[in-house]
Amino acid sequence: MIAVISRKRFRTGWTAFIILFFLLFVILPTVYILSYAVTDWGSIDTYVLNDPEMMEMITNAIIASFEIAGIVTLIDIVVGLPMAWMLVRKDFKGKKFLDTLIDMPLAVPTAALGFSSAIFFAQTDLNVPFALNSITSPLLLIILLHVVFSYPYMVRSLSAILVQIDQTYETAGRTLGASPLAAARTITLPLFRAGLVTGIILCFSRSLSETGGTMIALATMNNVGFATGPTLIGDWKSNLVSNPDLAAPLAFVSILLIILSLILLVVIKLILMKVHLPMGRIWPRPERIFSRGLFPKAKDGLTVFFLVILVLIPSFFIFTYVATATPTSFDWGPFLDSLVYSFLIAGIVTVIDIALGVPMAVYIAKNRTGKISEVLDVLVNVPLIVPTAALGYSLGVFWTGQNLIPTWDVLLIILAHVAFTYPLVVRNVAGAVEEVDPAFEETARTLGAKPIQGFSRVLYPVIKSSILAGAIMAFTRSLGETGATQAVVADAMTAPVYIVTLIRSSDYYVAGLACIVLIIVSYVAMLALRYVTNGRRSN
Amino acid sequence: MPTVKLIGLKKSFDYINAADGLDLEVHDGEYLCLLGPTGAGKTTALRMISGLLTPDEGQILLDGKDCAHLEVEERKAALLSQTYALFPNLTVEDNILFGLNIRGAAAEVKERVLINMLDLVRLSGRSDAFPFELSGGMQQRTALARALASGADLLLLDEPLRALDARLRISLRVELRSLVKTLKMTAIHVTHDHDEALVMADRVAIIRNGRILQVGTPEEIWDNPATPFVANFVGQCNFFTGEVLENEPYTVLRTKDGMLLKGRPSKLPKGSEAVLGVKIGNTDVSKERSGYMSAKVERIIFEGRNLHCDLMMDNGHRLSAKVPSWKRGKVSVGDKVNVSWEETKGAVFPMPAGGLEQELKVE
Repeated sequence: MIAVISRKRFRTGWTAFIILFFLLFVILPTVYILSYAVTDWGSIDTYVLNDPEMMEMITNAIIASFEIAGIVTLIDIVVGLPMAWMLVRKDFKGKKFLDTLIDMPLAVPTAALGFSSAIFFAQTDLNVPFALNSITSPLLLIILLHVVFSYPYMVRSLSAILVQIDQTYETAGRTLGASPLAAARTITLPLFRAGLVTGIILCFSRSLSETGGTMIALATMNNVGFATGPTLIGDWKSNLVSNPDLAAPLAFVSILLIILSLILLVVIKLILMKVHLPMGRIWPRPERIFSRGLFPKAKDGLTVFFLVILVLIPSFFIFTYVATATPTSFDWGPFLDSLVYSFLIAGIVTVIDIALGVPMAVYIAKNRTGKISEVLDVLVNVPLIVPTAALGYSLGVFWTGQNLIPTWDVLLIILAHVAFTYPLVVRNVAGAVEEVDPAFEETARTLGAKPIQGFSRVLYPVIKSSILAGAIMAFTRSLGETGATQAVVADAMTAPVYIVTLIRSSDYYVAGLACIVLIIVSYVAMLALRYVTNGRRSN
Repeated sequence: MPTVKLIGLKKSFDYINAADGLDLEVHDGEYLCLLGPTGAGKTTALRMISGLLTPDEGQILLDGKDCAHLEVEERKAALLSQTYALFPNLTVEDNILFGLNIRGAAAEVKERVLINMLDLVRLSGRSDAFPFELSGGMQQRTALARALASGADLLLLDEPLRALDARLRISLRVELRSLVKTLKMTAIHVTHDHDEALVMADRVAIIRNGRILQVGTPEEIWDNPATPFVANFVGQCNFFTGEVLENEPYTVLRTKDGMLLKGRPSKLPKGSEAVLGVKIGNTDVSKERSGYMSAKVERIIFEGRNLHCDLMMDNGHRLSAKVPSWKRGKVSVGDKVNVSWEETKGAVFPMPAGGLEQELKVE
């Protein structure tokens, strides 16, 4: 066995297979819908461009999507930056506790988050005690919701870079006479760009992509008429059977979302890497005043206040609701079925991701200088940026259009989930492999190890925890996904989709309970992730 | 017991020729040092022999057989890298037994080899330790034991002593060589340290810009360098250029400003341009005795055993001399001294094609 798979021809074949899988099962289906613009321009012309009402609806939804993503990212930067600063540069009691709190929203599936935030912020007739119960604008509600789940990404990306920036620069600046604020602003902030780029891209694409949470929040406030790009896709897809004319608008929205998000990715990268932050000027007096006395304390206080009000309470408000609402009787059956279904899918997706993503990561990391791997490295990011609803719709059209594989619902959902979770595993593992000195494996080979033995005995033990971390991320993302699932199979009954259905039929109490179950399951997975990654750090 | 033969190896990375027609023969059981400056292509040569790199052109013969089709693990050539690459997740014992475990060796065999190896590298008490718990020297010995125990019969050592502190480096030289000799292995040891190469090698191969300049015993390399570069690389030299007047019984060189300098007999045609190189350790300064030229002492550096003197000749050129420390007080800064050397210590070379400066340039 080992002898067979160690042959050069087999190895070349395996590499080719891995790359082919990535291109055919991940990249091609993700962007396949773009070809619709070429092959079926006529129907887009008829059903979209010549239908002013439709056109207006689409334009409004797309503009709303980008508007929300932009504002959310801005808010994240404003409230996330002081938080990242505090976590990295300051020492205080309860810092560890605060650090854990930041990640909490990540453990809550966005479907549950959508419901939880909506009953806290929005004006509803549920009469939950302590709820703000005041927001009536759907746009504002969605912005607040998206801040809740994108905030941790921003804080994490910023603090990851901040840790690496040597504090002695700032100290040197201060010994040369700069006030703390001036030193931080003119010296450290400009070094920040890489973290800012990552944070902005992560937050923007997560917000642009969000479907389930948005749908649930909108349904909770009984909204009619307001939609974002992804919710349009979700809604239309479920009406597609009764109204086949929606195929063209669906394709059009997906194409717009895909193209605009990719363009935006490039633009953000270019702008942020090229443009210097215009911060050279110094205002000695005011900056000294702002560096002293009450101001720093007020800043830290406000930072924590925002974390609590904007992020933590909305995330977990659902517990208040379930604890105080009058219980209604219901049938657990369908929900448990959907939970099992979700688990099954997430499990299989994770296995596929690991089996085919790890070799891909190893290939990319080891052939850094090669042209092919450079291209693959860029392509891997595409499914991360493309909104999952657009990805799901594109993938569904691709696979049902070809007669290559059977079009069972489960299979299509699995393929869709693989497409957007695969990059998570590849990113994580490739990063880990790159940090491992290639001398380990080379030495193993010269000591007589075949390539597969070199991997299993030398490389694998070192990157094991990263593989596990990638697996858990893929698992929880798959478990919480709504947009892609709905866009590929309209009536799929995964747990998050089931929760959307419950809320739309106003079964709020049941939905609340279901959300809590989902939160607990994800939270356990999250704990496992922390345990694993902490183990890695202490090694 | 292998022999290694490299025939016309070529390898380039983006316009840099790391191997440019490399020819080299290593005998069975020989300890060969591949000596050259940084970027000369030493590591590239080693990686091509191990199979980690494929040459663009040329042949590698192991035991007389072309090994182009042989995979890394089939070459029985164990690589010991600069950083040792001890597997961090394995103990000393498991590191040493790595090769045998891969092959699924019997328990008794492993037991015996392990005890032998631990004994050989004096790590018997530390077999359960993890690499990060060991000192640099212990890590080095573990890596060596692992390579020796793998059943390889060719040992490829890539600057194996580089990461150690100076004292340990010197004591391990002898130890490493005698271990390899005891086990009758063939070893190719890459280094940029000429002292290390001279002390350890049976033969030294000097490499530069992907070509072998000279192969020979340490004595041959030291006494009869093939080019001015070799002469300067294994021990710093003073160089003079001039016209050949005589070539028997000594070579006599007349410099541009008329100095007559003597070196070993040669076959250089009279009247041709030539280079004379004298190691600074063989350059003597004296106030009493006469010499080839006179010079002013500009600076004296006390190095413990020796004095390093920087001199300025009357014609404005600089040269250096290394004299025993007991001469301290006999020469001092500002003195006018006479510079001399024994005729047999002056190596004579034809003028290099690109000029002397080009020839001596490192990199």
